[in-house]
Amino acid sequence: MPTKKAPVTLCITSGKGGVGKTSLTVNLAFALAEKGARVLIVDGDLGLANVDVLLGLSVKRTIRDVLDSGADPLESVIYLEPNLGVLPASSGVPEMVTLGPEDQSRLGSVLTTISSHFDYALMDTAAGIGPSVLWFNSFVNHNIIVLSPDPASLTDSYALIKILSRDHNRKNFHLVINLANSDGEGLQTYETLEKVAKKFLNLDLQYLGTVPDDKSVHKAVRGRYLFIQKAPQSKASQALFDLADRIKMLKEMTS
Amino acid sequence: MDQLLDLQEKCPSNNQECPVFDEVRRLREECKRLQELTQVDTLTGLFNFRYLMMSLEGEMERTRRTGLSTGLIMSDLDHFKRINDTHGHECGNEALQWIGKIWHEKLRRIDMACRYGGEEFIVILPGTRLPQAIRAAERLRFALENSPVKLNGKLVRLTASFGVDAYRGRKKLTVETFIKQTDHFLLEAKARGRNRVCYDENKITVAMEGLTLDEREALFATRRPER
Ligand SMILES: Nc1ncnc2c1ncn2[C@@H]1O[C@H](COP(=O)(O)OP(=O)(O)O)[C@@H](O)[C@H]1O
Ligand SMILES: [Mg+2]
Repeated sequence: MPTKKAPVTLCITSGKGGVGKTSLTVNLAFALAEKGARVLIVDGDLGLANVDVLLGLSVKRTIRDVLDSGADPLESVIYLEPNLGVLPASSGVPEMVTLGPEDQSRLGSVLTTISSHFDYALMDTAAGIGPSVLWFNSFVNHNIIVLSPDPASLTDSYALIKILSRDHNRKNFHLVINLANSDGEGLQTYETLEKVAKKFLNLDLQYLGTVPDDKSVHKAVRGRYLFIQKAPQSKASQALFDLADRIKMLKEMTS
Repeated sequence: MDQLLDLQEKCPSNNQECPVFDEVRRLREECKRLQELTQVDTLTGLFNFRYLMMSLEGEMERTRRTGLSTGLIMSDLDHFKRINDTHGHECGNEALQWIGKIWHEKLRRIDMACRYGGEEFIVILPGTRLPQAIRAAERLRFALENSPVKLNGKLVRLTASFGVDAYRGRKKLTVETFIKQTDHFLLEAKARGRNRVCYDENKITVAMEGLTLDEREALFATRRPER
């Protein structure tokens, strides 16, 4: 039975595209679900290679249907496992964000209702800082920033953090370094960003973990399966199980 | 042409019924009509292929000179063949006209909406970066999906697929290559189920202009190898 504890809501953003937001979101959700948590994936990206495609989903009821007909919002959720649901992009979530303030607030209350049936809601976002990215980042409790050790990605995530903290009053940033050659490289990338953010933005960025550049991730995407399921022993999967553990600690902190 | 239209509106010698001035005015109107004929697609009222190629060339040159990027949206009406087969050719044409009307309504005045051929359209967005171009494409996609058109007395919901790209003037690029590059994303949108906007995600970044010199220095300085 659903406990009436508020769920932890997390938004996965990167600024730059192609750094692994979607792969991490989906696999992380499975890792959390495997540990017994009830997890919801919200696909906030209408672009290519999104969650719909990765998981091969098709939608029967959109958020707009729910709002128009007053149907149960949970009907727009597709269940991959009994404790793992998805709100696909084709359900209309990212679309509503680009509409007026009234739709946005209705979307907010629908998402809150749906999320209340889960322990975690993970929201994958589009690249850049368009209206939908900003909306999701303002909606959640915790902002997860995914970056790679590449200088372009580093600068981009700093620019993103700056905007979110200055203009949207976000303060809880958790960094995941993806596509790293080693844990050391990941940690070093974190430290660079942490120092600069402390100095110029007076922010304390949290380190959530490093995910190595791993061939099994690529293979999984091409084969349309999840590496965390088919290759649980791979380095990337191990890193994601560690991430899942850290995220569970966030929950204890929040509640 | 513009100079011709800018000529005085009155006969210089103030003759109210000056035959020469009347003739000049008639010729001017004729010129305008002919100019439209060579630039406009008669079915949709959008610009035609010829005008498209000419303007895009000009905008890309402007990008190379000014550094302001040029956005490009390619779109294709989904299931056009099915519309023609079920409702007839006339309705196919009406569907294309409907798109012309919506594109015209939803774009800025500086944007150039063109019919590329068949059921394909191209919009040139002068001085527009990729994120804004994507937003414009989303706006068109959304508007079309949500304004059904009456064909044969029946309301039909039309959708289109979109590919978007932007030219930043960094490398030499021909008009043809720019179009081909953008078409690739349109094909991607079709392949991924239609009624969507595709683009190169890797090109999307948060604007660096928001960072001060000190911040940039700090981000890069710590990454230089220590000696
Ligand atoms: N840890 C990793 N190791 C190897 N390849 C990765 C890793 N993470 C992501 N990728 C690859 O990078 C590409 C982009 O990933 P994706 O999750 O779609 O990024 P985003 O959602 O940020 O655009 C995909 O082809 C994916 O297979
Ligand atoms: Mg993605």
